[in-house]
Amino acid sequence: MDTNKKNRELISALGDDALPDDDVELAGLALRTGDGAQAWEVYHLIGDTLRTLETPPLSPGFSSRLAARLAAEPLHARRTPGSEGEPLKPAALTASAPAS
Amino acid sequence: MTTEREGDQLLVERVQAGERQAFDLLVAKYQRRLMRLVSRLVHDPAEAEDVVQETFIKAFRALRHFRGESAFYTWLYRIGINTAKNYLVTQGRRAPTSTEADTERAEAFDDADSLRDINTPESVLASKQIAYTVNAAMEALPLELRTAIVLREIEGLSYEEISEVMACPIGTVRSRIFRAREVIAEKLKPLLDLPGDKRR
Repeated sequence: MDTNKKNRELISALGDDALPDDDVELAGLALRTGDGAQAWEVYHLIGDTLRTLETPPLSPGFSSRLAARLAAEPLHARRTPGSEGEPLKPAALTASAPAS
Repeated sequence: MTTEREGDQLLVERVQAGERQAFDLLVAKYQRRLMRLVSRLVHDPAEAEDVVQETFIKAFRALRHFRGESAFYTWLYRIGINTAKNYLVTQGRRAPTSTEADTERAEAFDDADSLRDINTPESVLASKQIAYTVNAAMEALPLELRTAIVLREIEGLSYEEISEVMACPIGTVRSRIFRAREVIAEKLKPLLDLPGDKRR
């Protein structure tokens, strides 16, 4: 990775308040370069623009359809204390979504 | 004062204790946020809505296993992202190439005519062009990069939270967000009045 690119990665993380303390000074120096200042400006433009893009609204029937499906689901009581140490079942997180 | 995480955890515990209505409160709180996230991954709004619904069903079924070691919303987002990924695989989708995305977006760009309207202020046109370009570039991004930048820029999650949601190290989160920004920035470059071409 060339120096400019490394610097831009530091600046990217700096803009997210996610830069380790050790790298802050380096990022500060990078911001003084033309490439760094340009990256800082464009990255913020991208973020600001993304936050203005519209999200499609949920359809009017969404809540009632979901409520009907949830009502048909059995309500599982919390597991017994003896089983609470079990880890999350990965299948619960990764199961395939049924076709719509 | 109760934090958002603590408030969610109270509702989760009420569901776990058998109070079904408490889950409705979580749905009411997160349905639009989840749609905002999923619609960036599954572009068709009706399909995105199906994924959102399926995500809540899976979360409801799995909630008895949720122990509050992470925030409820990072857990929910993780289910949502996995459900969206699996949905795209099931549908045989792949991430569109930039050419396809650009073409599709260009055809659907409602404001194209206004770009030729000399009465429209230049700054408004420039903003619309930027929004269009960012959107098209986002749609062409690989799913992992798109997910990472959406979670950061739109959902406002920290790198640590994103690493939980995406089940990857924080260094990978940082790299994915940077790479996403670089790709989008490259597409924006022709539109911006930037001094020289210093990007290599």
